[in-house]
Amino acid sequence: MGLSRSLLRRGAEALPFVGPFLAVFLVFIAFPVIYSFYLSAHRVTDLYDVFGGLRFVGLSNFAELFQDRVFWWSLLMTLYYGALSIPASLALSLALALLLRRGLKALAFFRALFFMPYVLDLLVVSIVWTLIYSPHFGVLVRLFELVGVGAFTEKGFLGRVSTAMPAVVLVNALKGSGFGMVLYLAAIHSIPDSVFEAADLDGAGRWHKLRHITLPLIKPMTLFLVIVGTIAALNAFVEIYAMTEGGPNVDVGGKALGATWVTGYYLYRTFYVDLKLGYAAAMSIVLLAVCVLVSLAYVRILGRGGAR
Amino acid sequence: MKRWGRVGVYAGLAIAAAVVMFPFVWMVSTAFKLPQDAFDLSLIPRPATLDNFARVIFNFGFGRYFLNSLIVAGSAAALTTFFASLAAYAFAKKRFPMRDTLFGVFLASMMVPGLMYVVPQFAIVSQLGWMNTYRAMVVPHLANVFGLFLMRQYLAGIPDDLIDAAHIDGASESRILFTLILPLSSPIVATLFLLTFQFHWNNFLWQLIVTNDASLYTVPVGLALFKSAHEELYTLKMAGSCFSIIPIAVLFLFTQRFFIEGMTKGALKD
Repeated sequence: MGLSRSLLRRGAEALPFVGPFLAVFLVFIAFPVIYSFYLSAHRVTDLYDVFGGLRFVGLSNFAELFQDRVFWWSLLMTLYYGALSIPASLALSLALALLLRRGLKALAFFRALFFMPYVLDLLVVSIVWTLIYSPHFGVLVRLFELVGVGAFTEKGFLGRVSTAMPAVVLVNALKGSGFGMVLYLAAIHSIPDSVFEAADLDGAGRWHKLRHITLPLIKPMTLFLVIVGTIAALNAFVEIYAMTEGGPNVDVGGKALGATWVTGYYLYRTFYVDLKLGYAAAMSIVLLAVCVLVSLAYVRILGRGGAR
Repeated sequence: MKRWGRVGVYAGLAIAAAVVMFPFVWMVSTAFKLPQDAFDLSLIPRPATLDNFARVIFNFGFGRYFLNSLIVAGSAAALTTFFASLAAYAFAKKRFPMRDTLFGVFLASMMVPGLMYVVPQFAIVSQLGWMNTYRAMVVPHLANVFGLFLMRQYLAGIPDDLIDAAHIDGASESRILFTLILPLSSPIVATLFLLTFQFHWNNFLWQLIVTNDASLYTVPVGLALFKSAHEELYTLKMAGSCFSIIPIAVLFLFTQRFFIEGMTKGALKD
């Protein structure tokens, strides 16, 4: 009795501090996750009264989703996005980190310069790049013309099926590489000097040291960046919205599908343009499942000898 | 040999800096060009004009969008930091029932992909009748779990003796928090404020879906809708873009330590 009373008193004391945060968390973070499951089992019947006309449909949203070729295509495009963006971001981040060697003058300056794009608005950066990528007059198209390559002139980089996704990914990789760079810098700087000195004594060259010392020792950071990149690919939306709107179209078995139609963009279109809330909620639950699976895989890989 | 290595490094840095900065230089340069020079390959606008800025402010409402961005990002950052400070104090320095369970649930929620919240949050906000309000843009994001985590870590490092001494002196809990703990934690408070300000300044999708009234648009929303309505007004688009990019870039340059430490802390904690 005495114990529970003191517990209650402690709870009451903590409540004014935890209360505001907890209230927002419950209403706008915890409840939405549960509500998604509810919505995923319903269908909007009245477009003028989206919530008034919700009809229970059981699992049929999921059934429909798994037969939806556009959805499978969007997952494939998300995979493609990740397969391009993760290696590109890692390579750029590592290259920048290796350039910023210890003791370099102006290290702080370049670190800030390379990191800065990461804090800027992806939508706005994408709009700027749309101009750079644009057909006929765009600066990039004309630079290619100057060296005799006219293949991009007609449609620009975002209008061609083969270059649209790489062009979108490049924007994101350039913008985000400062983040990976800072993490790699921290990891590289935490390697003791003595390790490199010992390698020097053995006559190891620069390439050898990179391959056999630096890369293995920063592996945990690489794995972390791979996960961050995977989750970013699953959430990719803004850059697609701003640059390609899912296009340009490809003909796949008689159906026109977008060459940059990633799942995040499909989700947005489903709920905001088509107002299919239940269907979109079902899609977001599949996304959640994929994210959780990826994170678990990551934990397992890290647990298996990847840890520092 | 050694010298050539250094030259190579600086050449590499210069090329990397040019590539990374190119879009922003291009944006600023185009914003000062005449409409017919939008695709001129020169980086120096000749002649240069302020006309684009005047037009986006006076004819296309970017002054208002900028003000809205400031209101939304500023109030969200202040409230988020306040809520996280209050909660972090309790989680770091008090014992109460379910404390660790609750914190575990908070941390678990960080695994949920951001897009998952969009549909149900939109549903909740519209059923509350909050569409087209500042509150719709701000309130749903006030429980910042990463912010709470950052603050709790920091507050846990403040010695308990200090707090006990203040208790003995008869200071109230709120007095302890606001006159003792928070001043001692000013670096982390600044970090969280800046990170949430930046997050809301750039939070495009959410602000797009909860507003359809131009007087409430923030800069990215205004710019996106301007872009789809006036695809060919290139110099104006770039002038509008400056309204989003330049304030955050300047803020970052003056406070970069907080930004870089705050944004990388999640990865470096273990």
